[in-house]
Amino acid sequence: MMTKALIEHIEGEASLYFDTRGDKVTWAEIAFPHFRGMERMLEGRKATDALVLTPRVCGICGHAHLMATVRAIEAAYAEAGHPVELTRKAQSLRELTLVLEMIQNHFKWLYLVILPELEKLGVEGLAPAPLKGAFAAAQATKILALFAGQWPHSSYMIPGGVTCDPTHLERIQAAGLLDELIAFFEKETAGIDLDTLLTFASCREFNPLQSDLGRLEKGLIAAGMHKKGMAYDRFVVLGEHGFTVRARLKHTRPMKADASQVATEAAVCRDETSYARNVRYGKHFYEVGPLARAISADNALIKNMHRRYKDSVYTRVMARVYETALLLQRARKLLEHLELSEPSYIPPVPLERITAAGEGIVEAPRGPLIHRMRLERGIVADYSIITPTQWNLGSSVMSDPAPAQKAMVGAADIAEATFIFRSFDVCSVCTTH
Amino acid sequence: MPSRLYKPTLIWLQGVTCNGNTHSFLNLPYLPQLLERFEVLYHPLLPCTQSLAETAHCKRGCDVLVFEGAFDPEMERAGTTLKQLVGHYAGEAGHVIAAGSCASFGGIFKASAPNRNSGLAFAGEQPDGPLRGRVGKVINLSGCPVHPEWLGYALMSIADGRPVAVDQLGRPTALYRHMAHDGCLRNEYFEWKVDVEQFGRKEGCLFYEHGCRGPLTHASCNRTLWNGVSSKMRVGTPCFGCTEPDFPRRNLFETKTNMSIPEEVPVGVSKRAYLTMTGIAKSFKIKRLEERLIDDD
Repeated sequence: MMTKALIEHIEGEASLYFDTRGDKVTWAEIAFPHFRGMERMLEGRKATDALVLTPRVCGICGHAHLMATVRAIEAAYAEAGHPVELTRKAQSLRELTLVLEMIQNHFKWLYLVILPELEKLGVEGLAPAPLKGAFAAAQATKILALFAGQWPHSSYMIPGGVTCDPTHLERIQAAGLLDELIAFFEKETAGIDLDTLLTFASCREFNPLQSDLGRLEKGLIAAGMHKKGMAYDRFVVLGEHGFTVRARLKHTRPMKADASQVATEAAVCRDETSYARNVRYGKHFYEVGPLARAISADNALIKNMHRRYKDSVYTRVMARVYETALLLQRARKLLEHLELSEPSYIPPVPLERITAAGEGIVEAPRGPLIHRMRLERGIVADYSIITPTQWNLGSSVMSDPAPAQKAMVGAADIAEATFIFRSFDVCSVCTTH
Repeated sequence: MPSRLYKPTLIWLQGVTCNGNTHSFLNLPYLPQLLERFEVLYHPLLPCTQSLAETAHCKRGCDVLVFEGAFDPEMERAGTTLKQLVGHYAGEAGHVIAAGSCASFGGIFKASAPNRNSGLAFAGEQPDGPLRGRVGKVINLSGCPVHPEWLGYALMSIADGRPVAVDQLGRPTALYRHMAHDGCLRNEYFEWKVDVEQFGRKEGCLFYEHGCRGPLTHASCNRTLWNGVSSKMRVGTPCFGCTEPDFPRRNLFETKTNMSIPEEVPVGVSKRAYLTMTGIAKSFKIKRLEERLIDDD
């Protein structure tokens, strides 16, 4: 007997179908019911139009889509024998704004989703304050907007660089706003200063924290989330940035990763038409996101958590929240070292000369985002998008479940299973696009 | 002014969307104060008193309906079609707000399914949505996404019981009377017809060659800055005209020109007069406008 649960307070809407024995979840299938046709819409348009349209795939990670598009166009340039030159300044600005988008995502997820949903599981003393998430996110996007013009939906990255031309005025404004955001994080979220938090090497160090992070950590243990929601313990990181290490991992053992091994297939849900697709590396499912990034980057604290609690909900959730701290530090470094005297943009040859295929890969807040396009004289002939949520939240058959399905099997009841589902940071709009 | 004790009820529904309007709204600096003025029955992310499933039962109504995304009559939310949901809640509500260009005119998701999707009251410029002819009741806050301050203005006006005057396309005149060009820091370059030499420069105007729709787009992006600090043109990105019914146009980073004069001239200006004025303006050589700003830094 399948029981349906509607999942909301995510980006969009999803349906979960559960088989249960008693209350215990024995099987789960996932359906994403909404399809919007973004890829087809790009065909026949000049490739630069994609810089305006693809950020509109998603209201919360549009900037990652913008970066994936610009990287895909630049890859096509290289393939066609006209490599695009980028200054360090343009690269730093692109990375800075991407990092800020990730920060806003993580704040919203913690305050608007995870703390309120954990409270619904009966955990006391969490004191959820959803509007804190909106406040911190707005502060992060304000810094982003100083360089990108606006958030959501900016289009300031173009082949050859960025359109902005910041002076020290913007850099100083941005540094001031970032200091304020870090102060908020230290006071409200962490309850300890950023630099000290970043020296943590063991979960025990969270014990004395009287803060949202401290309460979250205790709450996850109280709900038994350190023993629940394990998936495959296989991870992949594909996007290359200053803060990532590209790798495929079994447990914590790294191997080379090659994006040409990534392929998709239709998702399976017997009870509802789902427009989602499953993503695999070779034949296998892998988990993506901040936990994958932390393990591949050899982060001592997260690896310690993983040693104790494996790839449980606890580790997955804590890795995402902790990544906020790592990214705040990264943003500060990027701003300090921003070389403003370099050009923002070096014009490439006209797009009309490009007939080639290109692939752009970015670590979005939820994991690797891949855009693939084929250009004929600068016009999009074919476009395909593989999103992080398709890796984690696929829906497959019982003998070969996708990561979130595997994580939900064995949950004590449906409420617990849906919390496990949310631990992957669900984005329905990205999953179907 | 109605008593502050009375809180209008608000429901926020989503059609075919990217959630960008929801996230844009979260950037509103006075969001907590605004939420105090309403009883939020349903919102896709913010705390609310009903679930989506309860909302989809259509048992009660609301005072204000905010709708985000394009209208696809057959699309379902929690098993109820948008046709039923919008029919019920828009019928009951005193005010309907179309948040963003998809809800206003169909926007990007009309472009992806032109025969099925529309805005609430318009499909492009045509009054052809399910609430067509309800200008005044439906407030169109076009923009991709909606600017949080525009939504704040409309909702606070409703909470204060103040009527909102709208233009022929249902957009509040206070927000959409002027062009996106108004308040642009590149206006001096625009006046003297100095084009930005290339992207990535603060100096120069993006209208002449780089696709900027600022002088052709009704929006107050440069009067009410995005995220309180910036706008597309401030960072050298052309305005793509996202508040207009024809968004998204094609070849967005280019200006169609005739003999190096933009084919479309600023709204309300005669083409012949504009050509004459351009010729004169171009004959000036203003040294200040030829220098780089970073040199002062």
